[in-house]
Amino acid sequence: MKKLLPVLIMLFLTGCNVRTLNPVSETGADQAFLIKLSFGIMMFVVAVVCVLFIIFTVKYHENDLNRKDIPKHEEGSRVLEILWTTIPFVLLAILAVPTVMYTFQASNTEAGSEDTLHVDVIAEQWNWTFAYENGKETHKELVLPVDREVVLHLKSTDVIHSFWVPRLIGKRDTIPGEENELKVTPDQTGTYQGKCAEFCGLGHTDMRFDTEVIPAEEFEEWLSEEK
Amino acid sequence: MEFSFNGKSVFVPTDVIAGWLSVLIITPIVLYIIIKNRYWSTILDYTTTTNHRKIGTLYILFSMLFFLRAGVDALFMRTQLLTPENEFWVFQGEKYNELFTTHGTMMIFFVATPILIGLMNVAVPLQIGANDLAFPYLNLVGFYLFLTGGTIFFLAFFFNAAPNMGWTAYAPLSTDSYTPGPNNNFYIFGLQVSGLGTIFAAINMMATIIRLRAPGLTLSRMPLFPWATLITSFLILIAFPVLAIALLLLQFDRLYDATFFLGELGHPVYWQHLFWIFGHPEVYIIALPAFGIFSDIISNFSRKNVFGYTSMVISLTLIGLLALMVWVHHMFTVGLGAFSNTFFAITSMLIAVPTGIKVFNWLFTMRRGVISMKAPMMFALGFIPTFVMGGVTGVMLSSAAADMQFHDSYFVVAHLHYVIIGSTILAAFAAIYYWYPIMTGKILDDTLGKWHFWLFLIGFHLTFFLQHLAGLDGMPRRVYEYTQEDGVWSYNFISSIGAYLMAVSMLFFLWNIIKTHRSGAKAGDDPWDGRTLEWSVPSPPPEHPFERMPVIDRRDMFWWSKINNKPLPVAKNPRPSPIARRTFQPMFLAGSLFILSFGFIYGWVWVQILGGILSLSTFVIRAFSDERTEAYKREEEENEQ
Repeated sequence: MKKLLPVLIMLFLTGCNVRTLNPVSETGADQAFLIKLSFGIMMFVVAVVCVLFIIFTVKYHENDLNRKDIPKHEEGSRVLEILWTTIPFVLLAILAVPTVMYTFQASNTEAGSEDTLHVDVIAEQWNWTFAYENGKETHKELVLPVDREVVLHLKSTDVIHSFWVPRLIGKRDTIPGEENELKVTPDQTGTYQGKCAEFCGLGHTDMRFDTEVIPAEEFEEWLSEEK
Repeated sequence: MEFSFNGKSVFVPTDVIAGWLSVLIITPIVLYIIIKNRYWSTILDYTTTTNHRKIGTLYILFSMLFFLRAGVDALFMRTQLLTPENEFWVFQGEKYNELFTTHGTMMIFFVATPILIGLMNVAVPLQIGANDLAFPYLNLVGFYLFLTGGTIFFLAFFFNAAPNMGWTAYAPLSTDSYTPGPNNNFYIFGLQVSGLGTIFAAINMMATIIRLRAPGLTLSRMPLFPWATLITSFLILIAFPVLAIALLLLQFDRLYDATFFLGELGHPVYWQHLFWIFGHPEVYIIALPAFGIFSDIISNFSRKNVFGYTSMVISLTLIGLLALMVWVHHMFTVGLGAFSNTFFAITSMLIAVPTGIKVFNWLFTMRRGVISMKAPMMFALGFIPTFVMGGVTGVMLSSAAADMQFHDSYFVVAHLHYVIIGSTILAAFAAIYYWYPIMTGKILDDTLGKWHFWLFLIGFHLTFFLQHLAGLDGMPRRVYEYTQEDGVWSYNFISSIGAYLMAVSMLFFLWNIIKTHRSGAKAGDDPWDGRTLEWSVPSPPPEHPFERMPVIDRRDMFWWSKINNKPLPVAKNPRPSPIARRTFQPMFLAGSLFILSFGFIYGWVWVQILGGILSLSTFVIRAFSDERTEAYKREEEENEQ
């Protein structure tokens, strides 16, 4: 047990800082909310099943008293069956409504105003290129201003990749010959891990990048710097 | 390792050398055992017979072998992921990609699918009172196609050419522009050949269940495993041809520079649609028979009939129908638009309803029963909470907006292992313990079975539970390493320990089989006090066990005949039934397709022509031979007398 304790503490600590549940944007927060909501509903289901499971296996397992018993024939129960058909519908409805809402919201990637920042994200085997409107390009480093809406235009030059910054927003694939978009407004400064989530060949594991969210003035300064 | 050969230096990775060495060690041992025990006649018997039980046993045997191979791949993966930035043997980069591709493909196509077809072969005809499947010859052909496909895929590694684009083979990565060489051709031909066998098996099961049921055994009196088999067969018949088409298109892209999945005219997302239109029903193809098995086992070991039989059948059908219209939930991040994403999110959520109905019916089957904790029942009991956990993460995944976070992360890896191991693999073990007397006439040791169960279940949860958290913490799937600051090492470390525990549990299983065959204890007839017809015949059943057809007038007829102390009534006239004959033709066809496939994989035109001629000639041979002639002659003579 003594050896296990540090492991358990470690688990607990890492469990608290799960990246996708600590989002730094509103869209990310919506997705985290959905994760938590669905988790809550589902834990209720698991709990009901586990309680029934434990009661039935403890109460009705074979012992010396009932070894010779022949249980009574039982066709079913209409009431019970209606019950466990309708309750799931209710539970699913609770989940379905916000799902539909947030899915439509996440799909709306039109720029909200003229102030919106546009960044081209070009994925290739095995590199990320981020191109800003003024022609500035970076590799494996996405710099964004805080509290300003940004639309990412996701493209690929070879195979399918997937743009994923767990703390910022869920992923979206980059598909050769297509353009996908993501709209997000980061609301906390910091450096966040970015990864390629779609398996893309030999260098998939190393296809990472950093997302740096910095204050607006710093960002303007950085953007005008020659590279 | 570098070798000098004819003045040229050849590079052979050490894992391939180790693979060949293990073959060199194992082959003589196996040969020695065969020669020492004079197994030749048994082998000849099993490989040429068209008897359903023997073919089923072969399906299960080879699926188990493939299971061990793919399991070893998994152990290598888990060892590579043991600690941050670990470097285990050669399994970084390309070799790791080959590992997970082989593991995934083999487990789905050459373990989960065929092991269930094997169990159907063993049990379904006996459960419905049929003497054999409707088309025994086709059955053997189907088995050989599976074995050939599996072997082609299995061999890829030994030629240092294991497929490396993931078991989903997403284009354009899977086209020859990005993965040249023979590697991924092995995937195409392995799956194409075995997929054809699966289609044959499905047709066979449908015809058998629809045509060969015992008199009085209406569909509404049929046990649930044949029911699940029937619905699964329809799913196979719809899904597998789609895979065949997708593979054919990919083959043309790879071998003849067609551009179905890339370039101006093609589109990479076509592949994803085709693959998942096949792939999602496939998930239910391997889950529904498992549900059927558990229904039978839970009812049998609770000594009680299935609770809510009608709703069980209806929910099987509904799951089958819904399975065909949810495939886009694998593609939520592709960018198909909000409408299609929400539509498929809702249909995916709906699957939870019939599945939930089944779970509660299983629970209430046990209520007021007498639950006998034998090894098969232990696996069924382990299945319920495990599968429910996999099911609920499935509902979480179906929430399209949230799926943008889950997708392609370890959360998905955890989910899919919870549902596939939770249903299919646990069902396969349960069924092997349950029907072992039918397959071999012997019964597996219960204590060892329980060791196997507990170690496997604990190892399983250790391995996969924490992977949910690793995924939520941003660990993408299909990566061979992670860094210290990713903060996922503790999850991965425990996960690997769990994997080793599962490996240990398999040793108990193997030892159980060896021990059972050494001690030679006979199972006797009806060892589990069964309810369904397969237990009304001796174990192992003779060929044509239902020479006199039992007449059925209710569900679980055999059980009631025992309770009421009345023998099963039998029909006056025997029913003409399929005739079992030895035949080498399917073996010949398998060999021809093997040659043909290698011709295509390596682009050797003359081998292609040779394989093609040989394969076609099997059809000619088949057209001019009829294994039933002898039996007809005998019948005619009998009639004349």
